[in-house]
Amino acid sequence: MAAPIKIHFALLLFQMLTGVVFDIKEFAVHDGPGLRVTVFLKGCSLRCSWCHNPEGLSPEPQILRGAAEERLAGVFFSSQELADRLNGLADLLRQGEGGVTFSGGEPLLQADFVAEVIDQLDRLHVLLDTSGYADESSFRKVAAKSQLVYFDLKLVDPVAHLAHTGADNQPILRNLRVLNELGVPFVIRVPLIPGVTDTVANLSAIARTVAGMPGLQRIDLLPYNLAAGAKYTACGMVFRPTFNECLESKVNLSCFKSAGLKVRIV
Amino acid sequence: MNNILKTPITSPRFQTPTTTVGSEEFDYSGFRNKFELEPRLVEMKRALRNGYYKQYRTSPEVDLLAECEADQLSWPQRAARLIRRMCDAQKAVIRPEERIVFTRTTGKIPPVYSKSQQQVLTAGRELHELGPISNICADWGMVLSQGLLGRRKIARSTRERLKNDPLAVEFLDCAVETVDAVLNLARRYSEEAAQNHRHDLAKMLDRVPAQAPRTFHEALQALRLCHAVLWLGGHYHCGLGRFDQYMWPYLKKDLDSGRIDVPGAEQLLAEFFLSLNKDSDLYPGIQQGDNGQSLMLGGVKRDGSSGVNELTYMALRAARAVGMIDPKINLRVAKDTSVELLELAAELTQIGLGFPQYSNDDVVIPGLVAHGYDLEDARDYSVAACWEFLIPGRGMEVVNIGAVSMPAAVDVAIRSGLTAGDSFEKILVRVSAELRSQVSKLAELSARLLLPPAPYYSVLMDGCLERGSDLSNGLKYNNFGIHGACSSNAADALAAVKTLVYDEGSLASQRLLDALNTNFEQDEALRKRLFDEAPKVGNDDARADAMLVKLFDLFADACEATPNHDRGGIFRPGSGSAMFYVWLAQGHEAMTVPVVGATADGRKSGGYFSSSLAPSPGVRVRGPFSVLKSYSKINYQRICNGGPLTLEVSDTVFRNPEAVHQVALLIRIFAAAGCQQLQINTLNVESLKDAQMHPERHKNLVVRVWGWSGYFCELDEAFQNQIIGRHIYGGPAKCGLP
Repeated sequence: MAAPIKIHFALLLFQMLTGVVFDIKEFAVHDGPGLRVTVFLKGCSLRCSWCHNPEGLSPEPQILRGAAEERLAGVFFSSQELADRLNGLADLLRQGEGGVTFSGGEPLLQADFVAEVIDQLDRLHVLLDTSGYADESSFRKVAAKSQLVYFDLKLVDPVAHLAHTGADNQPILRNLRVLNELGVPFVIRVPLIPGVTDTVANLSAIARTVAGMPGLQRIDLLPYNLAAGAKYTACGMVFRPTFNECLESKVNLSCFKSAGLKVRIV
Repeated sequence: MNNILKTPITSPRFQTPTTTVGSEEFDYSGFRNKFELEPRLVEMKRALRNGYYKQYRTSPEVDLLAECEADQLSWPQRAARLIRRMCDAQKAVIRPEERIVFTRTTGKIPPVYSKSQQQVLTAGRELHELGPISNICADWGMVLSQGLLGRRKIARSTRERLKNDPLAVEFLDCAVETVDAVLNLARRYSEEAAQNHRHDLAKMLDRVPAQAPRTFHEALQALRLCHAVLWLGGHYHCGLGRFDQYMWPYLKKDLDSGRIDVPGAEQLLAEFFLSLNKDSDLYPGIQQGDNGQSLMLGGVKRDGSSGVNELTYMALRAARAVGMIDPKINLRVAKDTSVELLELAAELTQIGLGFPQYSNDDVVIPGLVAHGYDLEDARDYSVAACWEFLIPGRGMEVVNIGAVSMPAAVDVAIRSGLTAGDSFEKILVRVSAELRSQVSKLAELSARLLLPPAPYYSVLMDGCLERGSDLSNGLKYNNFGIHGACSSNAADALAAVKTLVYDEGSLASQRLLDALNTNFEQDEALRKRLFDEAPKVGNDDARADAMLVKLFDLFADACEATPNHDRGGIFRPGSGSAMFYVWLAQGHEAMTVPVVGATADGRKSGGYFSSSLAPSPGVRVRGPFSVLKSYSKINYQRICNGGPLTLEVSDTVFRNPEAVHQVALLIRIFAAAGCQQLQINTLNVESLKDAQMHPERHKNLVVRVWGWSGYFCELDEAFQNQIIGRHIYGGPAKCGLP
């Protein structure tokens, strides 16, 4: 009976952190390999004008007022509560060749909480889905505990990045290098925003940035979805795209293929 | 002879690496290449959807009554005469593009007794549904391998042996009359083929179904004709059984000898599938599409080894290429089923026909054994029209004698228990009593059941000709199935009462009773609390799931406590709801249990119930994994009549390049979790809504309804609305990215 007592004691030593989660989605087919549960952590420092999950921006719980009903977006979980919930599905997730994806918002805004949840998971594959916008120690802490990272790379040009996302892209580019050093496999995800990120100049710059990185698995291009503005009203916000929504995303694979990079459209 | 036939074809048949499936080694990867219908079949499908085949329904309708009276025929003789006259009435129709023939040229099935005679005949007894034997499955493998002449020979020799038994003699004479009628029909088709200079076809029809087929093509033609004649005899929900098992020997021989190649065989298979849609608008059912042409694939053989073969794969591909509502594909899986097979099945799921329906061998087979089935027979199971498990050729089972209304049982128990100030345990005792009372009413009904003679169907079953006894007298298995309908709403109601009234003490009994009696009109706050905050099945929540498990255990107790009926069978409890999710909620002339008003799960009067095994309509659940977890807790060894867990998946899921693999994994974890049966419906709510507004634009939109798929625009509005309101998993894409 020694082992269970030891585990129990170890749990007592945890400084149990609390996080804010705005959704937990089962069978999240777009969020990594196999059968996955995605935890959406609330709060993001970027203000990408094409963001289609505005309820993920504020770190605080908030009421969404839809046409039919009101819904609270944002629930407090202790790390153990969240881990217990995920572990309850662990057998199915393992048999389904999948695991858990931490997304957001920006999960690294709650890096200590996420790290503590990961430490309590029962042999589950962890995927970190991040904008890369975080301080280095937060990034290292969670990325090192992940088996795969989905890393967004939107704009390489710092001026354009600031204009469209409201933030400097230097921390993102630095964390990309950190990720490469860590040796954790990663996928670069590029939202194709018409006239903003889908230009040949930007896509070529992204290709140059990531070319030769040994951990790079592939590049995913995500064409813009016209439904992006759908939830702003419910959040009491106004959707103000900094681009012409009616244009079609240009899907240009050649920038990547010519650099010998694996690329696909999702 | 063309080049394909000259090329020797040996296994593996595709030039790619091989894998081992069961004992037979073959390559699967070639099957992932989509195949398309050849032009003649594309045209055939178009003609089918346009109802082109209806133009042939010009034969004069058969009128049998006068003749039956004049000849003073017995009931078995009338049943045989019906088959004969209906076969004789069919004009031979051979369209130039057809390689597998038979098209029905008469509409109605004439009565063999007048209304008043029928009343006398059935006085004090009860016919099941429309009357004729239905919803079972022939032993097609046996019929093909013996040929109808082989069956006839057995009938003759038994007649010789039992010549002093007048009932046996009469039955066997009737059986022979029906065999001769089918052979006569085949002969007329052969003559027509010869007249059309289709000499190969003429020769084939001279051979089958009289004798055992020599080729896959002959086997398909024989099956088409023998199966279609069942419908001519007024039988319905005529199953096709384990198609890939009984057809494979014919196909394998052809493939091994080089007579046919895989693409050629697939086109023939596709034509056979199309042919099952020709007359299906004439087939009776609750609604059009509910015709029970179920076809089972995969699973283990009678000896327990894997039965998966190349035809399993080909049939999944053909069904996808055909893309019509018949046949209704079922696939037997287990936790170790190869992911390649599951992916092929997922590709069929993807096109949104609502099938395949998946059954879990790991759970179904032991469940049948626990209910008295021999292990070898249990391994040979197929499904009836919707989902009920049965053994082809060996079961004269009435798998849907009726349904218990779980919401009614629970609602009566809650209202009377709370009024009396019961403990929660006593409420459960009341639930048990209600369920027992409902089951015993169904048992009384079953005791009055009258199965009409079925000489032709008897020819197709195991042992009838050998024993000289009509199918209606029973076969090896003669059980009755009872649906345990709308279980999730009932479990949620119990869980709400237990949690709020008893465990938390946060809800006064009287307040709940008042709210139920007034349909929550004065207490919307309570309704919302019950609906949004009380525990719900589908969330892997122990409080609600315990109630679900309890309900099914009580239901099984009630069935097990019911004495065997006088046909020698037991009552098999199941988990299906069929049309009951609407009928129990809104009333229907066919229902004897009372319509349930507002319920303690926060459902207002008139709201639909859950369909088979699915969360209560409209409740928030965590997602499909938690749903699987919840329903895996039911003790399926006791609940063996079938009734699927139903997952609705948004078609947006399939826009993801890995979706097919992920859906395959979903099927795998369904099996690994220990659930029994699964339907995955692919839905796009916007297109359904548009189809309601503009039916003319969505003529081909197919949806799963309960155990069957139908054309959405042909459904009653209540069922359309229920489908639109169902849960959907896999909604919008995720945050941060478009």
